[in-house]
Amino acid sequence: MLKLFLANLKMMVRGRQALFWALMFPLMFTIIFGFFFGSGSGSVGTVVLINNSNTELAQGLDKALSESDVLKVRKGVNEQDARDLLKKNQIGAIIEVPENFGAPIPSAPKNIKVIEDPANSQVNSVVSGFINQFFIQTDYQINHIQPSFSIDVEKTNNRTLNYFDFVLMGLIGLALMNSSVQGIAITMANYREDKILKRITTTPLAPWKFVAAEVLSRLMLNVLQIGLILLIGYYGFNAHIYGNLGLLLIFSLIGGLLFQCIGFMIAAFAKTTDAAQGMSVAVTIPMMFLAGVFFPIDQLPKWLLTIVQYLPLAPLLRMVRTIGLEAGNPFSNPLNIEIVIGWIVVTLVISIWKFRLSDE
Amino acid sequence: MEKVIDVSNLVKKYGNFTAVNGISFEVEKGEVFGLLGENGAGKTTTLEMIEGLRKPSSGEISVLGFDINSHLREIKERIGVQLQSSAYYHFLTLKEILDLFSGFYKKHSDPKELLKMVHLESKANNFVDKMSGGQQQRFSIIASLINDPEIVFLDEPTTGLDPLARRQTWDIISEIKKQGKTIILTTHYMEEAEILCDRVAIMEKGKIVAMDKTHQLIEHTKHPYRVEFILEKDKPEIISQLQKSCRLDECDIKKLPGKEAHYEMKLKTQTDLNEAVGLLQKENPESLTVGRATLEDVFIELTGKAIAQEEAEEENA
Repeated sequence: MLKLFLANLKMMVRGRQALFWALMFPLMFTIIFGFFFGSGSGSVGTVVLINNSNTELAQGLDKALSESDVLKVRKGVNEQDARDLLKKNQIGAIIEVPENFGAPIPSAPKNIKVIEDPANSQVNSVVSGFINQFFIQTDYQINHIQPSFSIDVEKTNNRTLNYFDFVLMGLIGLALMNSSVQGIAITMANYREDKILKRITTTPLAPWKFVAAEVLSRLMLNVLQIGLILLIGYYGFNAHIYGNLGLLLIFSLIGGLLFQCIGFMIAAFAKTTDAAQGMSVAVTIPMMFLAGVFFPIDQLPKWLLTIVQYLPLAPLLRMVRTIGLEAGNPFSNPLNIEIVIGWIVVTLVISIWKFRLSDE
Repeated sequence: MEKVIDVSNLVKKYGNFTAVNGISFEVEKGEVFGLLGENGAGKTTTLEMIEGLRKPSSGEISVLGFDINSHLREIKERIGVQLQSSAYYHFLTLKEILDLFSGFYKKHSDPKELLKMVHLESKANNFVDKMSGGQQQRFSIIASLINDPEIVFLDEPTTGLDPLARRQTWDIISEIKKQGKTIILTTHYMEEAEILCDRVAIMEKGKIVAMDKTHQLIEHTKHPYRVEFILEKDKPEIISQLQKSCRLDECDIKKLPGKEAHYEMKLKTQTDLNEAVGLLQKENPESLTVGRATLEDVFIELTGKAIAQEEAEEENA
């Protein structure tokens, strides 16, 4: 069996195309998301500030905007150019402070102008919120008033986390799912078409040893995938990972096992390699979007959420995120591990029942 | 002689279709036994049941004295199987594949020696799909020898090969026989069976319609003599004269497709043969070949009969 395991590893490395999909595809995603959302950048977008006033108030606003983390500020652009940039979606909004704004003269303008793109609601709400907040505070200062009410924010954990960290854990799940479901389903269907499975059954090798060698070599690939994603995320884009890496790996590999079971199940039903490819894509693509790789699924309509939260990838991602991002206990919500084990049992039983190395 | 394979009343059904219909035969140690038949006659199904790859619907199989149902593992340790058009791993070299497969058995042959036997030692580090069809087939045969088996199963070992590659494969098969191994092969090339097999069984629609030593099958055919000739131009009077000379029902004369006056005549007795040749020589034919019937003639006679019988049965029903 060891020989078969080593041979499988060799073939994986030599079969460059499969390796490319298993490693490059999730890494590509990691890098793309890293450039957009990584490197600790918490800003939601860029705004152009055209400040035509030299007053204390105007300079105060200028300074507050420039120091803010949520918005990146560009200056020295005239209004016409800024409008062009806005049209081209290169900036999120324009903030124009009129001449003499904030000057202690009766004719001084009282409003500043914000030009926004209605499509970019995230930037718009941040810009208006930010400026309103600034003016309210200024009003309080001028009138020497203390606010009567305020909020105490309590975070569920005191760690800095951003969207990239969320996606990074999702990408681990995605990589495991794609390489295991497609890898097993397509490889097995291909082996069947090429009569390699049949050739194996002419030897005294026990079928379970053949399957075990295949499963173990795939898990090795999974370790490599997880390692690379975490390394690139952490060192390349300053991802925040708080949990125990060993625990993260163990739970990821449980996921890997689950997806391999799904792969064997597909291989049991697919008559050809093409069919296996089609069926595994039909399983993985919807799951990629519905199980919360890229966005939290609680944003989905309630009826859909009640269904998709039971998809195999969904509880796995919840556990991986609990471990990786919150350093939490993966069993804190036992439903998650129950769903995963449930899926493993179901797919394993179907695979054992239907998947055969021989033709009959 | 020691019996190494014993098959009795073997049946394989797929729903309503009967692929193998109650066949029985024995194979003796050290012989080359051929299963002949058209595509779909049931050769491969029979072979795969003996190899333990398919479960018989009924009947018994014993290999090397072991019952196939209770001792399949022991049997697999001691047989070598070459599947019809089987591919091997794409990303392993020949040597790696042999090493891998040797790990599946308790007993192994030396991969280097095996590669040398089929002149592939220089290709030891190549991938299978980078080789020609003949080379792949040769490799596939030696891969079935990796456990130094007592019985070797070869399923259509020369199908799709060019004449030269086919002859090279024949040499390998006789080399395996020389090592004292028993070989059971399927083929639809009669010439190949005639040269390689000690005994053959001819299968037709799941049944064995004839089984004997190859040369005896040929000798026992209805028309063991054969004359082939080409005349300068077609002369119907010569043909009727020939037919008269050998008493119409006793000989079979027919025009071959292709050339204008190319005939084949099958005869029952030496006397008929002499008479026919005497007559023909007077006509000064462009070509005249006298010979023995071949296994192909036996095959056509037998399977043609089987088909005619079946058609008659269908009509009666």
